[in-house]
This record gives sequence, structure tokens and C-alpha cells, in this order.
Amino acid sequence: MKHILNIAYYEVLHILKDPILFLIVFMVPAVYAGIFGVVYYSAAITDIPVGIVNQDNSRLSRQVVEAFNHDSHFRVVESVDTYPELKKGMREGIVRAGVVIPEDFESRVAQHRPAELLTIYDGSNLIWGFNTRKNMMEVVNQFSGTYTAGYLAGLSMSKNEIKNVMDTVSLNMEVWYNPTYSYVIFMFMGLMMMVVHQIGFLSVGLTVTREKERNCWIQYLSAPVSRGKIIIGKCLPYLVMNFFNYTLLLWISANLIHAKIEGSVLCIVLLGILYDIIITFAGFFISVHAPNSLQVTRYLLLISVPLFMISGYTWPTRYIPPVLNAFADLFPTTWMINGFRLATVKSFGLAEMMPTIGAMLVMAIGAVGLAYTFRKDRKLSATGLTVNCGNVYPRRAFVFLRPK
Amino acid sequence: MDEQKSPVIEVTDLVQRLGREEILKSLSFQVWSGECFGVFGLRGSSKTSLLHILAGVDRYASGNVKVLGCDIRKNQSFKKYTGLVTQAKSLFQDLKAGENLDFIANLKNAGRANVREVISRLELEDSLRKGVNQIEPGVYQRLALACALLGSPKLLIADELIKDIDLYSRRVILREVQAFRDKGGTVVCAFSNMEFYEHMSRVAWLDDGRISIYEPAAAREHWDSMVHSLAEGQGGTDA
Amino acid sequence: MLKQCLAITCREFCYMWRDKGMRYILLLASLIGLLLFAGIYSAQVLQDIPTAVVDLDNSSQSRALVQKLENAENLKVTAHLSNYAEVRDLLEKGQVVVGVVIPENFGRDVSLSRSTNVAMLIDGSNMIYATNASSAVLTITRTVSAEAGVKTLLARGTELNQAKDAYQAIDLKEEYWFNPTANYAYFLVLGLVLNMWQQCCTLAACANVISETGVSSWLQIRAMGISKFKLFFSKSIAHLIVFMVLAVVLYVLCFGVLKLPMHCGWGILLLFTFTAALALHSVGTMMSSLALNAVDSARFGMIVALPSFVLSGFTWPLEAMPHCLQSLVWILPQTWFFQGLNYLTFKNPGWHYMLPYFKGLTIIALVCYGVSTLATGLIER
Repeated sequence: MKHILNIAYYEVLHILKDPILFLIVFMVPAVYAGIFGVVYYSAAITDIPVGIVNQDNSRLSRQVVEAFNHDSHFRVVESVDTYPELKKGMREGIVRAGVVIPEDFESRVAQHRPAELLTIYDGSNLIWGFNTRKNMMEVVNQFSGTYTAGYLAGLSMSKNEIKNVMDTVSLNMEVWYNPTYSYVIFMFMGLMMMVVHQIGFLSVGLTVTREKERNCWIQYLSAPVSRGKIIIGKCLPYLVMNFFNYTLLLWISANLIHAKIEGSVLCIVLLGILYDIIITFAGFFISVHAPNSLQVTRYLLLISVPLFMISGYTWPTRYIPPVLNAFADLFPTTWMINGFRLATVKSFGLAEMMPTIGAMLVMAIGAVGLAYTFRKDRKLSATGLTVNCGNVYPRRAFVFLRPK
Repeated sequence: MDEQKSPVIEVTDLVQRLGREEILKSLSFQVWSGECFGVFGLRGSSKTSLLHILAGVDRYASGNVKVLGCDIRKNQSFKKYTGLVTQAKSLFQDLKAGENLDFIANLKNAGRANVREVISRLELEDSLRKGVNQIEPGVYQRLALACALLGSPKLLIADELIKDIDLYSRRVILREVQAFRDKGGTVVCAFSNMEFYEHMSRVAWLDDGRISIYEPAAAREHWDSMVHSLAEGQGGTDA
Repeated sequence: MLKQCLAITCREFCYMWRDKGMRYILLLASLIGLLLFAGIYSAQVLQDIPTAVVDLDNSSQSRALVQKLENAENLKVTAHLSNYAEVRDLLEKGQVVVGVVIPENFGRDVSLSRSTNVAMLIDGSNMIYATNASSAVLTITRTVSAEAGVKTLLARGTELNQAKDAYQAIDLKEEYWFNPTANYAYFLVLGLVLNMWQQCCTLAACANVISETGVSSWLQIRAMGISKFKLFFSKSIAHLIVFMVLAVVLYVLCFGVLKLPMHCGWGILLLFTFTAALALHSVGTMMSSLALNAVDSARFGMIVALPSFVLSGFTWPLEAMPHCLQSLVWILPQTWFFQGLNYLTFKNPGWHYMLPYFKGLTIIALVCYGVSTLATGLIER
């Protein structure tokens, strides 16, 4: 125990003495949480700039325009009111949606023929596109309802009678878990778990490479301390720091960003602990085998986006080829970000979380096992004519060494 | 183990490779208790590779190496009784001298009294608060030796212990190494300057991956004759 | 002088090749990314959203409603269940995204023109599902309500024409401009692949200055009296050539093999990409000149590059971000690049429209190269 605490203590000292590492571990998570929190602050797509081309200019068509004007999801851009301007506006991003009311709109209604509205969505960004479509349908449905109620009132029906007619079959749409269509609820916590992943790996991934570069690793190898103690001693500070970052990000997300974090505290804590263990011990394993800190930093920084995208967190797994899903299941991020959503957005209990927790437990054991494969003797290998592949990488201190 | 009769280090047919090149070719030798076994070789002769194998920090290709009765491939417990001074700086550069001693003492289960003793013997009192990168080479070597002597090892493996350091530090180091041997300790020391031959009990000359064992005086003679013949050859060419 | 520059550039190619880590990153990372992202979005459109139906009535009217659901665009009825609890269970587990519960006596109530409620439950935990499912449900809602309303009016004795007029259908003709099939692969794959590309370029550029000033051979270069400008300019040529070759390969694969949309010409696209590469390279060079070692340089560069894709507005729109951030994000070259790329490949707005993007990227490049020149000079002094 003394050995472990001793190694852990000096590991903490090393971290505190590396200002950049200190900033990465203690400040970057909060900064990223702040940045992404501000990005998704509005949470939902509102004020969609829409151009309405009213080719009919009748009373009915003007009512359609009013319906869009009064809807908080849309912002009618009045300068775009002709079809050529709509085309130009869509190309230049002045408007992101369009409605074209044809010339014969009201006359078709008067002739008992279906009246057609052309709704245009910006397909170059499907977040605009799909949200616009949903909101437009709501406006049109609302408009139709208002029109019907007005028409029935014109037939001298009472309010109750109108209500009875219109509610003959009412389809009540209930959106579970995220009724406000909030992108904060959808995306934010997934991004935060990736931040935990990246910061965790980037810090622990340097724990052994740093010693190798400074030639101090030899002290651990030659010391009469068992592998297990070295592993635990080296990993202990990172286990603590990573879990601290996890809870800090949860707090920021819940209290400042107002992300939805509900459900079983036990599940959330368990997930965090398992994720922490996997990252820390897998990071140690990587650090033992990586030639230097530069390679660790480069490779780890690049994997975050692919891991996020293959996880099925955004684009559903049902639409991803099975082989990619199976590949994604090998990574802890897949289980963590999806499991975190199940626990906090859908409020899954412990029993329902068992598959996720089980998978992460297996990965945690695997990560510990991988870390334990480290040997207390090195394999001598010739690097040949290579650059940045040995225990050194460019650092200005070289040039600053002056003879006394 | 019977230190009188069994060797402290027993190497049989040791082979080490770097890539495809064999840098140590079937070495066999023994080191006995109490001796200062010098490993001599010019730069690039793989002295460091040999010492790192004996210290158990590098794996080797084939052969058999026993240190303090342990087959080092199977059993690492000999490290409790071994101290290592490396050629390249290997102390913790982001710690002060005193912090290095504390940390390594903890790793080696050495007590505070032991730490105070090595500080005193190697005269490091004035350097304890300095960063490892800030101390002179001679003081650094004394510090490295102090760290190696923590935990009262039986075997000291030292690589270029007194090369290019000030005379005072050299004197202190040699004094302590002798004291270590007087208490029954064994030293394996790599060196590349034949001037230091007289401090050795025997000299193992590493050349082209092979080892030849000499008495110190004989090693010196061999070296002198090599230098002489090189000089004569040069003179013949000039003529 | 040209000979010197050429020698430095050739040496730089060697350096990049012999840095195995960088070699694999530049050669493979974007290509692997392309494979992955093309695979992930291979389904391209979100169709057949799994739907569960609970028909507690089993009348002709309820079956007609179920038939409507089965014919609905984008919905696919995958489960016919027997009670609400089962629907809830499947929704919670994510096995279905939409759940429809038709109550008992639905048919009777419809026949007697009494109010009846059908529950349409949507799993909102995934917005991609939620927005598409909601749109599909809203379409059905309109037609079903209208039909039932008309029948009710007729039952009350209203004339047929009047009943139809009351529920005068407004048909929606929908068009997705620039991406007519709402193809998710078209929307995202190019952006994601180029995000990998820009991260790799940033990493490579982050080695520009420090790889010379951080090694002992820098003393040789200083002793030879080669101007720093000549040295780093020649090195940068090598980097930019590699970046552009990589970009061209990716474009050929994206537009030629995967047939992603490209409405602009190759000339403007490549020029735009080169300008972006220059800006990205300048950011990496700046980090390289400010950092004391290669690891810190990589970290600084990636601290900018990593969140830049989200900040660029390529996915979550710029206009949806707070106003203060909308202005700030234009500091990043990635914002100019991804915004410009989206416009170029989907909308081809023309040279005049794209000019500010070229200007923005050029200004960033000038500023960052300027900072790195100053920083290198100061540190050396």
C-alpha cells in the first residue's frame, strides 16, 4: 500500500509540474462544456428564416402567411417574396425554408378542389431540413384547424359543437423523453462523455511515455516493486481525476446547461466508475507500448470523431451495417454514451441497465488485464532510420543547454 | 545462498540482438562476491546493453543469466538486492535531488536512517533542494550512486560511474564504492577509459560482441600495445 | 536559391515519410474515416421508422387506421401488440420509435360521431428519429382527423359540399432543395471526412517549426546562415503539396465513387480547398512556433481543431447559436471552410458570393503566419 501511495503521490507531483497537462486535466473539460453548452444553448431550432412567395395574394393566402408570421419557429424574411428571390435566398443562406402559395390557391378552394402549397426545405443541412419540415407541418395543421373551426362557426355551430366535430378522432402526439425537441437533451451529454474519454486518455496515456522519454522508467523497472503496485500507483491519480471530471461535467451539464440528467444515481455512478476504470487502465496499457508522448497525443486526438459517429448515438444503429455496429461495440464510448442516455433521459433502472453495465464491466476487466500484461523488462528494438519513433521528440530545451 | 562459493552473477551463452544484428555473442562469465568487475569497451561496444541485462531491465535473446542465484527471466526478486547507476541520466528530472532520494527510498523500502546515511556519505546535504537538472555532473553522479545504494544492496551495477566528473566527486564516489565492497558488496562497472583499470578486480573486455577477461594490469598492457601499434601504423603511413 | 529551397522541400518529404506516426496519419486516417463514415451512412435516408400498433378495438374503422399507418411514408409497422404496457416496453427499449394505441370502442365512437383519442407515442430521445417520426405522424393526423370530421358533419346532416369545404385539404407538395432525397450521406459524409482531413493537416503543420527548433541540428542550420523564411517556406510547400494530394484523393473518392453532390466546378473547389489548407497550415505553424515541444504543439493545435467541426455550423446551424458566438466562430478557419464547402458543393453560389470566404481564410493565414514569424524570432533572440 505504501508503494502504491508513494508512486501515486509522485505521479500527482509530475502532473502539477507540467502546466499544459495540468490545464488539460483540470480546465479543458469545463471549457469544452462551456463551449458546447453555449453552442447548443438555444436547444431547439427556432426563428427559421423562411421566404414566403405569395403568388395568390388573396385573403386566404394572406391568412397562410399570417400563420407563419405568428409561429415562433419561423421568422418570415419579407425581402424574399418572389420565386427568383427565394432561389437566390436559399442559395445564399438568407432563407432556409420557403413556402410558395400558387396563384390559384383561393380559387381552387372555392371550387372545392385541393389547394396545393409548395414547402421547400434546405436539404444541404438536414438539421434545418427535418426540423423545418416538422414545424411546417405543425403550422399547416394548425392553420387547417383554424380554418375548419372558422368555417364551422360560419355554419352557426356552437363552440361545443365545433369541438365535438373536430375532436371526432383526435390523434394526440406525445413525444416521450424530449418533448421540446431539445438538442441539448439529444446531443450534449454524448459530447461530454467524449470529452471525459479524450481528456482521460490524453492524461493517463502519457504516464509511462513521459518516464521513458526522461529515462526514468528504468528506475521503476529496476526497483523491487511488483507490476501490480506500479500499475495501481500510476493509475490511481488518474482514476480520481477522471472521476472528478466526470462529476464536474455532470454538475455543469445539469445546473448550467440544464441537460436532462434524471434516473438512478446508482446507475450514473456505476457507469462513471466503469468508464473511468476502462479509460485509465487502457490508457496505461497504451502508454507502456507507445514509443513516446507525441505518438500517443496524435493518435488519441484523432479517434474521437469516428468513435462518436460509429456509436449510433446520432445516426441510429438500425441504419448502420451490422459489421460496423459490431465493431463499434468493441469500444467503451459506444456503451457509455448510449447507456448514459438510457439512464438519464429514459431513466432506466439498474435491471434495465444490466446489459450495458455488464458489457462495461467486461471491458473494465479486460482493460485491467491488458494493463497487467506490462512487463518489468524492456524489449530492445532497432528503430532504424525513423523520426519521432524513439523515446525522443523535438523539444526546445535541446537548444537551451549551454555549456558552463 | 552461499556467497562464498556461488557466483553473484553467472552468465552462460548470453546472446543479445538489436534488430538482426547480434551485439552480444554468446557471452559467458562469472562475477564473484566482493569483486569490482569492470566491463571495458569503447563507445558502441554494447556495455550498456550488457549492464541493463544484468540489472534485469532489458530482455535478452538467448542464454542464461543468474543474478544472486535467481534466473532473471523467471524471478525478479534479485532486484531487492541490486542498485543501478545508468550512463544516461535516469533520475526524475522534475523532482529535486532530495525528492528523488525520498521517492526511490520508498520504492526500495529503505528507511529514513538509510537515506540520511547515504546523503551524509556522499556529501549531498547542500544539493538536496536543487533540481536534478540544476546540479553539476559530479554531484549528479553522487546523487545517482546514493539512490543506487539505498536499501543496502548486495550488487551495484554502474555504467560510466566516474567519467567526465570533477576530481572531488570522483574521490567521494571511489571511496564509497570501496566501502561498499568492504562490506561484502559486489560491483559491476562499465568504463571506457583505461585510466580507471586499477580500481577493478578483473576486467572484461567487450569487443565486437565478445568478451575476454583480463587481470587489470594485463588489460592495461593490452590497451597500451593496441595504442602503440596504432601509433606505429600511423607513423609508417606518414613515412 | 531555388536549389536550396528544393533541397529543403525534398528533405521535408523524407522527414514526413520517416515519421511513421505522421505517415500513417496522413496516408490512412482520412481514408479510414471515409470508409467508416460512408459505411455508417450507407442507408442514406431514414425510412421505415419502426412502429408498433396496439389495436384494442379490431373494428373495420380501426383496421382502416392501421392500414393508413402501414401505408404512411417513413413508418414501418413492425409489431402488432396487445396492450399499452407492451408498447411502452418496446419504446423504452428502443425497439420501436413510434407507438400507436387505438382505444376500445374506436369504431363505435367513430360511427356514432363521438370523440375518441388515439395515442401516438414517439421516442424523442433521438432527434433524428423524433423529427422524422413527428412529421410522419403529423401527416397522418391531418388526413385522419379530416376524414372523421367530414363523416361527423355528414352524420349531423351537413351537406356533402359544405362538409368537404370545412375540411378543405391543403395538400403539401414538399421539395428538399439541393438534396432532393434528404440523403443523410450527402449531408454528412463529405463534412466528416474533411473534418478528419483538417485534423490530420493541423497535426502535420504542428510539427513545422518545432521539428527544426527543437532538435540539436537547429544549431547547424543557424550556423549555415539559411534564412528562417526560406527554410520554413520550403518546408511548408512540402506540407501543402501533401495536404492537397490527400484532398484530391478524397474528393475523387467522394464525388467519383460515392457520387456525393458537387454542384460547383473543380477549379473553384480546389482553389478553395487550397486556401483552407493554407489557413489550417498557418494555425498549426503558429502553434508550432509558440510551443516548447512537439507534444504541446500537437495539443495546442488539436484544442482548436477538435471542437471546430461543431463550432463551424456544418451540422448544428450557426444561426441557432447565440449571437455572440456566431461572430466569434469566424475566427476559426474551419468555420470558413465548412460553411464555404457546404455552399460550394450543394448550392454553387458563384465566385462573387465565395469571395468573402477566400478573404477570410487568407486573412487568417496571414495573421497566423505573422504571429509564428514573430514568435520564432523572439524565442530565438
